[in-house]
Order: sequence, then structure tokens, then C-alpha cells
Amino acid sequence: MTYVPRMQPAISISNLSKRYTSGFEALKSVDLDVRHGEIFALLGPNGAGKTTLISIVCGLVNRTGGDVLVDGHDIEKDYRKVRSMIGLVPQELTTDAFETVWKSVSFSRGLFGQPANPDFIEKVLRTLSLWDKRNSKMMELSGGMKRRLMIAKALSHEPQILFLDEPTAGVDVELRRDMWEMVRGLKDSGVTIILTTHYIEEAEEMADRIGVINQGQIVLVEEKAELMRKLGRKELTLQLREPVERIPESLIAHNLTLSEAGDELTYVYDSQGDRTGITRLLKDIDTAGIGFSDLSTRQSTLEEIFVNLVREGR
Amino acid sequence: MNYQAIWAIYRQEMARAFRTLLQSIISPVISTTLYFVVFGAAIGSRIQEVDGVSYGSFIVPGLIMLSLLTHSISNASFGIYFPRFTGTIYEILSAPVSYVEIVLAYVGAAATKSIILGAIILATAGFFVPLQIEHPVWMVLFLVLTAATFSLFGFIIGIWADGFEKLQLVPLLIITPLTFLGGSFYSIDMLPPAWRTVTLFNPVVYLVSGFRWSFFGASDVGMGVSLAMTLVFLALCMAVVGWIFRTGYRLRP
Repeated sequence: MTYVPRMQPAISISNLSKRYTSGFEALKSVDLDVRHGEIFALLGPNGAGKTTLISIVCGLVNRTGGDVLVDGHDIEKDYRKVRSMIGLVPQELTTDAFETVWKSVSFSRGLFGQPANPDFIEKVLRTLSLWDKRNSKMMELSGGMKRRLMIAKALSHEPQILFLDEPTAGVDVELRRDMWEMVRGLKDSGVTIILTTHYIEEAEEMADRIGVINQGQIVLVEEKAELMRKLGRKELTLQLREPVERIPESLIAHNLTLSEAGDELTYVYDSQGDRTGITRLLKDIDTAGIGFSDLSTRQSTLEEIFVNLVREGR
Repeated sequence: MNYQAIWAIYRQEMARAFRTLLQSIISPVISTTLYFVVFGAAIGSRIQEVDGVSYGSFIVPGLIMLSLLTHSISNASFGIYFPRFTGTIYEILSAPVSYVEIVLAYVGAAATKSIILGAIILATAGFFVPLQIEHPVWMVLFLVLTAATFSLFGFIIGIWADGFEKLQLVPLLIITPLTFLGGSFYSIDMLPPAWRTVTLFNPVVYLVSGFRWSFFGASDVGMGVSLAMTLVFLALCMAVVGWIFRTGYRLRP
């Protein structure tokens, strides 16, 4: 029998807390493990503590209490080791307007203690479709290009762990697809990726596992497939041609909700389920002689899901 | 030591100056010329020799110090404040660099720039007055020491400032008056006794005095005292920077 050592997590956070001098408690005893080579999505509404969490691991913010180990190394005691393993793409697009793309990315590599390697920088810029812009000043770049430049800077020192804080905020749909593609490529090359987002679609598209954070606490951590099933509730709304006073007997089994004016019927179903029950419902409505003028479906919004999760947690 | 990082930051800071090379050179040349026209030619012609040196030559060390102080402070304070302002500081803070390395890079670059500036002013002054430098080694030492000390001081201001006004506040309200009252343009022996005593509390007096000694071999206060005072101020700035980094003040909340 061969002995297989248990691999320690890429990032291991225990009992992490952060209270800012203003008194605001951004993180309350957070426990979280991120596995090597996975894409971990941290979901949460604005102000939930996502950025604070990332900032502590990356060395931008001092923790108040708790332990953070990166590949087994303490983030403060072994800060050189830890930080040289990590690449960070912050949420804000912060660039030195007068610097050129090439110089900026080369600067990042040097800053992280790596000897110059023009071939590698070229590779990174080509992957991110920035090669043609290498001699452009940053102020000449579009928002999407700036975002890619930030990623190039983060990748310049060949990190093993990459943090992407809201990577697709304000990025158009096409570019978002490209970015997802690129992140997948990074994962394939063995990079562990932690991304924060408030787009559920993004987490769905990318993540292996998803953590939900709210008000400084991790509400749940789950494999994506499992979470999507839970979060996959959808609503079907039917605009009735003629208002009804109450839901007909024959439709009771469908658990419908009737609007106050009596002109809207709402049906909640699980879009990930084997059977949505929609066909059956529509057939029954037809049989009941109810006509509808319009029909719409809506995914439960993330806000609603958070509210539900927090309520359940209480 | 992460020498790569020190070099990267240093080079980036120097590049910032070279992007505006023309204005970096022309502005000190113009201001030095103006000082010589006003103080050297217009007023200086009515002033007797000071300590056996013509007034025009006498003001050269003070003039260099004046620019050295103000530019060291503004270079260094802007150097660290700018990334804080734009947010690009995140990269420095997330990099595997120690505080010592950050200071070496930023302060080193700022000091280099002001030393170059000092050399330009000295060369410009050479067009107006005959230059004599009795102790060139000490002259360079004072130049470097002052540039480093006040760049460090500027670095502190750049971290403390939370707006562009504050960045200007200390140089404008404290440094400029101290420099003008610090014997840049006169010997403190010219002052009434009471004011002379007050002046001795002005640290700039010691800088100018020591620097002037390296030029003419004579000065208001002893050269040893000058050196000691400069080193004390350097140590003080280092202590403050040390505290800033230990507490994460304004850098790491």
C-alpha cells in the first residue's frame, strides 16, 4: 500500500475576524478552506465582507484575529513566501495612466521578486489579447482592456493562487465569456482560483465550489451542483385575461399564488429538477377555462436567495 | 532582500521624473537664475562680503539646500501619495516586499532626484559666481544625507496626507519658512542676539551651516554640530517610519 500524504488546503482560514477602527465588524469568525486547483466562488451581496476577506489573505488589510494559512504558511510570519504565491486582481481598476502596458506588467513581475522574462510577459499579453497594445499608455485603454491588464499584472509572476475580485463587473457579455474561458485555462494549468462575484450566473458558469458570505459570516459552502439545485427556484407568472376571485379547485394541487387584484397567477418551480410541472399546469389551466394574455418566468434574484439563506440560518 | 522589487520601484519612480525631463531640468535652472538676479545682482551688490566670501557665492549653498529640502519632500511625498490616491498601492502592499525595501526604493528614488537637482543648481550657479568647494567629499556627504533625510520626511508626509492640500501644507507652512529663516540668504551672525538664539532651534540652520562649511571652510555653527543634528533628524524620521509600518498606519487598515 502506498502512502498518500493528505494534501493541505491551498488556503486555510480559521476563526478569522476583522473589526475596522470605525468599529465596523467586517468578518465574524470565518472558517473556510480552499482546495488546490479548484475554482472557488465567493458569493455575497455588497458589503458582505468578500473584499475584506481577500484583502486579508493578500496582505492589504491586517486581521483582528484568527489564522490564515496559505499552503501551510502563515500570511504574516511567512509573508514573502505567501505573497509570492498569490496574484491579486482587485475590483477597482487602478492604473498609472502614463505607464505603458509592457512596462506596467514588467514592473509587477519585478515587484514580486522575479527576474525579467520578456518571453513570459509576451505570452501573458498574447493570452489576454493585449499584445497589440503593449506600447499603449494605460489611459488609452478601454475599460475591458484595463481589466485584462490588471489580470496580466497579477499573472506576471506566475502565481499558484489567483484572486479575482469581481472580475467581470462592468465587463460586456462577450468579454465576460472570454474571461471565463481564460480562467478555465488557468485552472487547467493548475492555478487555484478564488473569485468573488454577485452574479449567480458567473458562479454557475465557473465554480467548482461556492461559498456564500453575508454580513461577515460564511453562510454556506457547497459544491456547485448541490447549491445550484437549491438556488434554482424559478417563478412563472401568468397574466390572466379575466380576473378570477379565487384559484379553481382543479388547480389547488399546483400550489399557485393569486395576486390581490386576481389577475395574476404565480407558480414556483425548480428549474434544475427533472420535472418542472409547467406542461401539466398549463394543461390544467386550459381545462379550467382560464385564459391568459401573457406569461413570464423569472429566476429568484441573488438578493432574495441571500435573504432566504440568512433567514434559514437563524 | 527582494532586490528585484527595490529595483522595480526605484526604476518606476525615476521613470516618472524622466517623463517630465524638460521641466525637471528647466524649472530649477530658471528659479536659480531668478534668485541670482534678485539676491546676487540687485541686492547682493549692496551687501558687503560675508565671512570673506562675496554675497553671490555666499548664497549658493543655501540656495541648493532650499531646493534640496523642498524637492526631497515633494518628490518623496508625491511618490508614495500618488499610488495611495490612485489605488495602485494595492500592488506594493500585496507584493513580497518588506517595509525596509519599500522605503529604500521610494526614498532612494526621491533622494536621487533631488541630488541630481542639487548638481544642476550648482552648475547653474557656476555661470553667475566663481565656485569654490573646500571640502568636496563633505559637500557630497551633506548633500546625500540631507536629500535622504528629507526624502524620508517627505515619505512620512505622503503617508500621513489624505488629500492634495495636506501634501502641500507641511512644505508650505513649515519647511519654506524654516528654510528662509534658516540662514540660506544670510549669516545668522547678521541677526540681533535674541533672534540668533531663536534661530538655533531651527534645524535647517544646521543643514545650511554644515553645507556652507564644506564650501567655504567657515560657518555659523560647528560642522560637527551640523552633522550631528542632521543625523538626529534622520534617526527621528526613521523612528516615525518604523512606527508607521509597525502599526500599518494609513497603509494597512
